[in-house]
Amino acid sequence: MVIKLSGGKLYDPAHKIDGQVTDLYIVDDKISKTAPANKKIDHSYAIDDCIVMAGAIDMHTHIGGGKVNIARTMMLEDQHAHPDARSGKFRSGNGHIVPSTFSTGYRYAEMGYTACFEPAVLPVNARQAHMEMADTPMIDKGGYVLLGNDDFLLRMIQQGASQTAVNDYVAWLLDATQCIGVKVVNPGGIHAFKYNQRRLDVDEISPSGVTPRKILTVLSKAVHDLGIPHPLHVHASNLGIPGNFESTLSTMTAAEGLPIHLTHIQFHSYGTEGDHKFSSAACQIAEAINNQPNITADVGQIMFGQTITASGDTMMQYFGHEHANPKKWTIMDIECEAGCGVIPFKYRDKSFVNALQWAIGLEIFIQVNDPWRVLLTTDHPNGAPFTSYPHLIKLLMNRSFRNDVLSAIHPEAQQISNLASMEREYSLYEIAIMTRAAPAKILGLTDHGHLGDGAKANITIYRKQDDIEQMFTKPIMVFKNGELVVENGKVTKTVQGITHVVKPEFDRSIEKPLKKYFDDYQTIAFNNFRISSDEMAECIGGEIQIHPCKLN
Amino acid sequence: MQFNDVTCPHCGLLCDDLTVEVNDLSVQLKNNNHPLCKQAFEDASFNSGQIPSPLVNGSPATLQQALDAAAQLLKNSKQPLISGMIGDIQTCRDAVALTEKVGGVVDHANGSGIRINTSVMQRMGEVRTTLAEVRNRADCVVIFGAGVLENFPRLYERILTPAQSLGNDATKNKKIFLLDRLDKNEIPSIKNKGAITYFQLEAPSLDSIAHKLLEVINKPIEIFDEIDDTLQILIDLHQTILNSQYTTFIWAAGEFKSDIAEHTVQTMTQMIKQLMEKVRCVGLPLGGSRAEVTANQVATWQTGVSLPVAFMSGAPIHNPILFDGMKMLQNKEADTLVWITTYNSNDNPPETDIPTIVIGHPKMKCANDVDVFIPTGIPGIDHRGLACRTDNVATLPLKSIRTSQLASANDVISQLSQLL
Ligand SMILES: [Zn+2]
Repeated sequence: MVIKLSGGKLYDPAHKIDGQVTDLYIVDDKISKTAPANKKIDHSYAIDDCIVMAGAIDMHTHIGGGKVNIARTMMLEDQHAHPDARSGKFRSGNGHIVPSTFSTGYRYAEMGYTACFEPAVLPVNARQAHMEMADTPMIDKGGYVLLGNDDFLLRMIQQGASQTAVNDYVAWLLDATQCIGVKVVNPGGIHAFKYNQRRLDVDEISPSGVTPRKILTVLSKAVHDLGIPHPLHVHASNLGIPGNFESTLSTMTAAEGLPIHLTHIQFHSYGTEGDHKFSSAACQIAEAINNQPNITADVGQIMFGQTITASGDTMMQYFGHEHANPKKWTIMDIECEAGCGVIPFKYRDKSFVNALQWAIGLEIFIQVNDPWRVLLTTDHPNGAPFTSYPHLIKLLMNRSFRNDVLSAIHPEAQQISNLASMEREYSLYEIAIMTRAAPAKILGLTDHGHLGDGAKANITIYRKQDDIEQMFTKPIMVFKNGELVVENGKVTKTVQGITHVVKPEFDRSIEKPLKKYFDDYQTIAFNNFRISSDEMAECIGGEIQIHPCKLN
Repeated sequence: MQFNDVTCPHCGLLCDDLTVEVNDLSVQLKNNNHPLCKQAFEDASFNSGQIPSPLVNGSPATLQQALDAAAQLLKNSKQPLISGMIGDIQTCRDAVALTEKVGGVVDHANGSGIRINTSVMQRMGEVRTTLAEVRNRADCVVIFGAGVLENFPRLYERILTPAQSLGNDATKNKKIFLLDRLDKNEIPSIKNKGAITYFQLEAPSLDSIAHKLLEVINKPIEIFDEIDDTLQILIDLHQTILNSQYTTFIWAAGEFKSDIAEHTVQTMTQMIKQLMEKVRCVGLPLGGSRAEVTANQVATWQTGVSLPVAFMSGAPIHNPILFDGMKMLQNKEADTLVWITTYNSNDNPPETDIPTIVIGHPKMKCANDVDVFIPTGIPGIDHRGLACRTDNVATLPLKSIRTSQLASANDVISQLSQLL
């Protein structure tokens, strides 16, 4: 099958293409810049005046695993308020804030996304996370496995295990849970909360006998040594606490210069100045990112309205439960690995704190100079549902729109934010970086996120519109692996994405102490814990693609 | 042939350390002598040549004939009910898809049991924990109702009295309190469980004990005018909890009085959340012994809502009053029943005079009495599969350890869907 897309303006930052009109060919499931020899063109689309980008990639979105089902259960009214009665070859569903799996897949595709990554896969819950993602059609998937609050690793560090042994454990766990990256959430803090500790600073010794800093140093080194493309994915300490920017800065240094990705950094950029003892530290955080090239971040922008927060960070979720809206909250300790907390939340533009959170996110976007190192997320659903991305893009690209929204928020928040004076407007090229090229790069997906020869034909085409939000809401065409799956913002064909994983090499002798640990303490047999690749395909429903690691 | 690390899907704990001997079509549990577990595995056995055939109105039929007959019944149906839902993940996935396709209602055989915890989760959220966390972290355990230990046979051995524990002496030798009402018949097996402090309290019900404990937790002692033995025990228990590192409340909603169970589970959550202001306290609701957790997890992610789910309007709707499967049958609101049950030959559909299709366990007792019976393999014996544990977190693999000619339930259901 050969498809020709002629006359479109390409935005392909991986190849430094910034809006040049170029013809593009899809040959089977791949992109070609030239017409294939000796093959006839089956379909030709004239897309003059259209904007062509690679399929978008959401590298931090909570779309699978037990906490999402808890959130769905707790958001019953929202589920019912957004019915999704599809028919024929499409499955029904519902929900706006935490949609059902099929609806999630359709809506991501309808916005031009072709890959999404679940950032909090608990090892014991990995099967369920993968099953939910397998039932999420249209998009490719992947998960980051949670480490750094598990008793096995904390004991290893506390007992002075070698870095090599830690590396073997990390590699073993990635293989056993079929994940592509490693995430640490409030290092040591979820574990400490099980001992009734309610706060933990980066250099404080936790009940496990180690400091969060040590956990970060050891894990970022492991990820680096194993050659895992995605840097250690870090949800830093003290989420949501005024003054937490200091622990965020400490977290950055804990990586000791190695690559590290700080997620939903907006929630970690708070100062304590002013009458409300709550202020923006976006400037300090952006400056730190600008000065340390080993750091990447995604923002976790909040949007005003109802949502629900679902996080592994039991310690800080418990702290936040008093602000639950509606008034209900769930906290779980999980299997000597981690935990989860699920709390509904309503961000109000007339609340000083919420209004400032909104401004802080945008301030970070605008003040980080390099769009390759600041990625576009709302930490779905924690800051806002993923369907608010087109609105967020408009806020970044259109200063007068941004200032209009700013002028309606809590007046004191307006006053203390520098946002109004910030002139920067993101370009389409920069949006293509932060939603395509950069996430593909930091995940190690070499054939995604760009429009070069041989790339997977994941392509999103927008009709140029004055209203950028409208434009990004409804692409006119989306191709997934070369198949036309969305037309005029509606799914027209169902496809099944692949699960991206890494399998770094490791010394199998780590299985001996692990087996003993499972026999002595765990409630699942060691042999039943590991998810084999054929189980992924046969029982879970997610075929895997392995991405290479380069041992360092 | 002998298989190790076999998962047992017959109670919500999903113990996966079983050794099972398979000879031709007979299956025998080797390393666990609990009568409930042993019996459940024996139920899967049969002799060679006894593989049952599908039945249409009690007469042998080919699989295709049975599928055609089932499809015809569903085509004629205006309000089908898909229930039972006692199966592995894939069976539940295909059953939800079938329900959507026929615009029916899907519920679990024990839907009313699922609802109790779901509605508390919906209304106020919960504080929960998982099995390994209790095993390693808990130094104090409060069990509500002796039936918990009967119905989850290996809870005591595997979780409450572990040979080793990650914590310290206090987490290895847990303080275990069992609360129940006085007039309940003595349960002999408790006597062998030496680590348990068994309080049989003067109280009308288990529920009332829970409510009393909440009062003790919430109120200063001075407000009680008279402190009788029961109250004193609860006051002391409260003190013990306040002095412990990690207290776990264990209950099974099925042990409470059915009409007020939801209120009692809410009381459990209130107690835990109140105690959390000072100390660590968590809940471990037990259930899922008929694969309730598996069915509800699948329904929740696929449809966005918990069981029961109705598809009449095209989009999934959850309404536990309107779409309670058992009530729909009683009130004759369903006109065709698809009953799916794969683990146990005794899980018969409720008595009903509407056309009934049974897909499931090859030895179903009801096989001759229903309109269509399609025998299937048993997940974890004949087919690979996955099952969700009582704590809603762990998913365990079910192995294929026997070679039989039986189709899997999910295959049968998806073939049926294709005929519609
Ligand atoms: Zn997140």
